[in-house]
Amino acid sequence: MDKDYIHIILADDDEDDRLLFTDAFDELKINTKVNTFNDGVELMDYLNTPDAVLPNVLFLDLNMPKKNGIECLYEIKSDDKFKDIAIAIFSTSSSEEHIEETFVQGANIYIKKPSDFTTLKKVLAEVVTINWQYHTSGLNKDNFLLRL
Amino acid sequence: MELKRIYKSSIFLKSIFVVSIFVIFFISAVTFKHISLVGNSSSRVSHSYEVSLELERLMSYIKDSETGQRGYLITRDSTYLTPYLDSKKKIDESFEKVKKYTQGNRLQEHNLRKLEFYISKRQNYLSLTLHLAMGKSLSDKRLKEKFDIGKQTMDSIRKQIDEMNLVEKKMLKAREINYKDTVKVTPVFIYLTLLVTLVLISISYIRINKDLDRLKMTNNRLALLNESSNLAENVGSFGSWELNIDTNEYTLSDNNYSLLGFKPQGFFASQENFLKYIHPEDLNSFKEATDKLVKNVSLPPFTYRIIRKDKKVRYFRTTGRIVINKLGDKILIGTNSDVTDEVLASLSLEQQNLELEASNKELVAFNYAASHDLQEPLRKIQTFVSRLSEKEGNSLSETGKEYMERINNSVERMRILIEDLLQYSRTTKNEKVFEDTDLNELLDNAKLDLAQFIEEKGAKITNQSLPELKVIPFQIQQLFINLINNSLKYSKAGIPPDIKISCKKVTAADEELIPKSNKEKFYKITFKDNGIGFEQEYAEKIFVLFNRLHNKNEYEGTGIGLAICKKIVENHRGFISATGKPNAGATFTIYLPEETEN
Repeated sequence: MDKDYIHIILADDDEDDRLLFTDAFDELKINTKVNTFNDGVELMDYLNTPDAVLPNVLFLDLNMPKKNGIECLYEIKSDDKFKDIAIAIFSTSSSEEHIEETFVQGANIYIKKPSDFTTLKKVLAEVVTINWQYHTSGLNKDNFLLRL
Repeated sequence: MELKRIYKSSIFLKSIFVVSIFVIFFISAVTFKHISLVGNSSSRVSHSYEVSLELERLMSYIKDSETGQRGYLITRDSTYLTPYLDSKKKIDESFEKVKKYTQGNRLQEHNLRKLEFYISKRQNYLSLTLHLAMGKSLSDKRLKEKFDIGKQTMDSIRKQIDEMNLVEKKMLKAREINYKDTVKVTPVFIYLTLLVTLVLISISYIRINKDLDRLKMTNNRLALLNESSNLAENVGSFGSWELNIDTNEYTLSDNNYSLLGFKPQGFFASQENFLKYIHPEDLNSFKEATDKLVKNVSLPPFTYRIIRKDKKVRYFRTTGRIVINKLGDKILIGTNSDVTDEVLASLSLEQQNLELEASNKELVAFNYAASHDLQEPLRKIQTFVSRLSEKEGNSLSETGKEYMERINNSVERMRILIEDLLQYSRTTKNEKVFEDTDLNELLDNAKLDLAQFIEEKGAKITNQSLPELKVIPFQIQQLFINLINNSLKYSKAGIPPDIKISCKKVTAADEELIPKSNKEKFYKITFKDNGIGFEQEYAEKIFVLFNRLHNKNEYEGTGIGLAICKKIVENHRGFISATGKPNAGATFTIYLPEETEN
């Protein structure tokens, strides 16, 4: 990579969550650039612009209006130009169905939104510093859900 | 049984009939023979009389000729010569007659030849003496000699005729005896055979009467059966039918017509006519089913619609099979039943089931959505509270800090409650897949899930090897998590929890906790801890949703965890129970059947 920061995108319809997300990265001592989108349509529109800067890690909320996270995941995974993006599912739900489906669709990790800020920071730091190549090669259903 | 007897009886009657016919033939043959015999005898009697009569006549003609000759010799009147000359011709005629009558009888023929000789000798001498007497006197010696010979010959004739008469008499006598014998035996014989025939016919009469009675009884019984079957058909709304495959003859019971809205025998029974009443949409499937039947000998029940005479649509179910009757005909027998009520009931049941399923799904979805959506604001309250105490904590008073702490605790509790409720709503059997799973693996996963808590408490968990079973994996894992979590939660302060998990295979009959009617084999898995235990009287209560034994200030808990355990075990057709003693630990026992799926 020729840039010296990690490019991160979050798609989440919840304003509070977007705020907490950017706050957390502001407080973390990692060189990152964070972009946020309000829903799946906005996200996909951005990603599909010809000169878009593709993120290193994409955080996807599942429950979004217009186009939900699963639909976005499906579109991204079916387009070869997005193959280098690591996708982290970032959801309130931790239901078996969602975990199973996103795993099958090819997401890289599943994060249940933590309920305190300290844990949130910890989780985000962990996720953006993962060696994705190493993580993906050993990925299975058990380590797909991030446990801290 | 009854019919068999009648069949046997008919063979008996047939043989009696044949025997009687033979007897009648025999009697008529015998009678004919005897009548012809009688006829013969009488004709022979008359024949004998005729022979004797003719012989007498012959004798008298010979005498006539002699008388005539003598008359002439004495009177020399030629009128006496006429009878002499006439008698010559008459003798010849009479002799021919006798000859004819006695033809075939050797003895008489022999006698007749002798008689003929004597007669001609006598005739010769008569003419000779006549001739001699013409020229000479009657006292001539030669003439006298000739007269003597004539007289002797006459005696011989007489003797011969007597002889012949005697023979005829003897023959007649013999014939009479023979005839009498025959006449005497014949009636006795005929009488006897008639008697035998009479006896045979009487026996058959008795037999026929008996058979008739039996037939009448069988017929009565048959009529009764028929009536009761008609009644049964009426009550049960079904009708029976018969189809002779070889002759294509079709028979429908009365109730079949009523089921189609007709009077009994209201239309000509034929397959074509019946097909007219089948709903056009079901006609093809009906034909397919009956075609199959002819090939497969028996017909599994199939349901189709018919349109009655009054245009009402009803559901029929038909079943049948092929039988071969005594004549070797292939006969298709079967029943048509009106199953409209049944079909409609099952259709409405199906509909209700669908509605129920839908409302159940809705409920689950609602439950899930409610719990899920409730979590979101809660999580944010928590996050912002943590953020507030982190960033602005220093500027808060001690009371403010305490309030913050209390807010945090309440929110945390609500979060756990919602999470557990969510978990409980997910623990349904619907659409869950049973898979062959190694329970040891699920236990390891459970321990991994609780690793942090286990470490915090310094707990020690030991287990025996668990079996491989067909289960819903994540539910059993949840069960293990909840049970271990329970033991960790209710541990004694300051004493590290010690959880022992054991497993053995048992039969239902040996276990008090399993109903006696159950015949299956079970795996009994027990979780024994050294925690605070509980009063045995609450053993059942702890599995009820939202039931707690402790104040929430002392021990965290929502009262949902064990209810989930019970639900999971029941989903696997198993049983769960708990035993405990205050301060002496608790033991949870689960029974999982060897075959968890129905």
